[in-house]
Amino acid sequence: MRGRERRLGLLYSLPVSAFLALSFLAPILLVAAFSVMPPKVFSLANMPDFSAYGEFLTQGYWRSVAWSLGMALAATLILFVLCWPLAFAMAKVFRGFTLVLTIGVVMTLFVSENIRLFGWVLTLMKGGLIEGYIRHWTGVGYDGLLYNVPIIIFGLVYVYLPFMLFPLAQGISMVPDDARQAAYDLGATRWQILREIELPLASPGIVVGSLLCFVLSAGAIAESKLLGGQAVIVIADEVETAFTYGQNWPLGAALAMVLIAIVGGIAIWGIAKADLDAMIGRRR
Amino acid sequence: MTLTRRTFTTGLAALAGASTVLPARRAIAARDSELNILCWEGYNTDDVLSPFRKMNAGATVRAESGTSDPDMINKLRAGEVNVWDLINLNQPWARGQLLPEGLIKPLTKERFMPYFEKMAPEFAAPYPLAFADNDDLIGMPQRYGPFSFVVNTDKISREMAEDQGWKLFLDPAMKDRYGVLTYDNWNLIHMCLTGDLNPFEPLDDAGFETFTGIAEQIFGGAKLLTDDLVAMNTALINGEIDAYFTGGTYTASPARLDGMTNIRGVTPKSGPVGGKGGVVWIELTSLVNNPDPSPLAEDFLEFVQAPEICKAVGFAEGTYNPVAQMGDPEVAKLWDADELDAIQWDSLEEEMANSVEYDVVADYDKLMQIYTAAKRG
Repeated sequence: MRGRERRLGLLYSLPVSAFLALSFLAPILLVAAFSVMPPKVFSLANMPDFSAYGEFLTQGYWRSVAWSLGMALAATLILFVLCWPLAFAMAKVFRGFTLVLTIGVVMTLFVSENIRLFGWVLTLMKGGLIEGYIRHWTGVGYDGLLYNVPIIIFGLVYVYLPFMLFPLAQGISMVPDDARQAAYDLGATRWQILREIELPLASPGIVVGSLLCFVLSAGAIAESKLLGGQAVIVIADEVETAFTYGQNWPLGAALAMVLIAIVGGIAIWGIAKADLDAMIGRRR
Repeated sequence: MTLTRRTFTTGLAALAGASTVLPARRAIAARDSELNILCWEGYNTDDVLSPFRKMNAGATVRAESGTSDPDMINKLRAGEVNVWDLINLNQPWARGQLLPEGLIKPLTKERFMPYFEKMAPEFAAPYPLAFADNDDLIGMPQRYGPFSFVVNTDKISREMAEDQGWKLFLDPAMKDRYGVLTYDNWNLIHMCLTGDLNPFEPLDDAGFETFTGIAEQIFGGAKLLTDDLVAMNTALINGEIDAYFTGGTYTASPARLDGMTNIRGVTPKSGPVGGKGGVVWIELTSLVNNPDPSPLAEDFLEFVQAPEICKAVGFAEGTYNPVAQMGDPEVAKLWDADELDAIQWDSLEEEMANSVEYDVVADYDKLMQIYTAAKRG
């Protein structure tokens, strides 16, 4: 009976598996295949020569990868610190207000990312909302806040906030109040409770939120283009340039593969660590 | 009848099987009343498409705008020759890449040659890049414009900018006072011109060295880089920068029509290519080599030669540009004084005379490599 169920299960999952293989794996395999083609070809009917990966190493593209990953890491850390108290309040304190907050944050996602970022450009630029008013009131202006690395990280933090906030709130809601109260009763300090009770028990939410933010930030392009004035060139930008102005599909594909490999590796490692079953409530 | 799970599944499978056959047949049958246009923004506006749709009731006319020439060419290369009927790109691609790769095909000469006679003198000759080596007509010109750099004339006078030309951006006093509009293919040309190199001929080692130095210096001194002309104009208007590298009527016109006539495209008075230092782009609309062509494609191309439609194309939302058909007084009279000022009509002839044609860059790949490395910093 068990064996038959398993076979049936396998059979039933076949259409979805086939769909996933076709829609998710096939494009990645196509990109992978292009990445080993000789430079500047537009079809797969060529002898593979891996020269695009050589170009990645010799032409300094690793610098763009480093910038993307570095800024993604910084944004993720800032988001974690920023969202923890808010997520805690949403899970444990706010009650009815949580819904208002959730709707408020989700609403921002209805507006295109580019438009929201352009709003920040108009706010932060020289003569913009902030500098314009300061100059108007005090007579002293400054040079605008745009076109540097910190502002790109600010953009990432702003855009990806919901992706940290909600998983984190979900993770914190998994921390039983009894455990915290017991720890208080046994004389634990607030710091000990955070470190030894809340962080470990909320870790699935922390891992999922961090992964989402890190992966999305690593592939982000609009923040560096709009707010940062391309103060640094991110890897997604290099991929775009290779495919368009460069007309070098194999190079673009190789750059994309490097990013996919790094980000995918980190994601798989993270997911293996997180107890997702606990988070979606299948256990406990 | 009760629907059992088995009959439902069978029906679903039959439907799935049939769906692989049906749409293909329908698509072939519908090509007579279908037109797909891949173009720069302008041809896809309601002002242009609605009258054509009215003329061809029942036809499905679709136009999609691209964000760069190479982007649009990629679509054809990726197999979308089956989808598109017309493609609208800047002048070098049709002769340089699309025709040799069999992605476009010649137009009916008898139908379109008469239109050249009414065009501005530069085009009436007729315009050489619209023709293949064997004299086939491979595209119709319409919008065009000088494309070099843009200044805020309140900060840098037009005369000074024209006299200094590209060297303006090498002046140490300009450090952090300009932006670079990352239309990368254009920047290759303009950086060559800045280094007194001819981008349309192969460079020697010394040439590449000069180009490397120029690219590093231009990027090093730039306050911001963006491929968004609105963001660039905004920075110019609010005083974050005083000029931007790579730009022209196309990018300056939206700000000028809004009354900021201190934003001006500038064409250098002299330069390294036959004494000229400016560059002009001219769009060509070509017939895609669609294996199942739509008869509406040439109809549309003829339709956009009508005076009102010329105006609608030249004055589409986003950017404003002169059109070749303005050589015909019937067409030119449709522009009012402010609109003519937005497209810098007063200096257009002079700027055209100081410009060379945008062309295929001889050492594009190598220069692109140097350029992207310099951009990375």
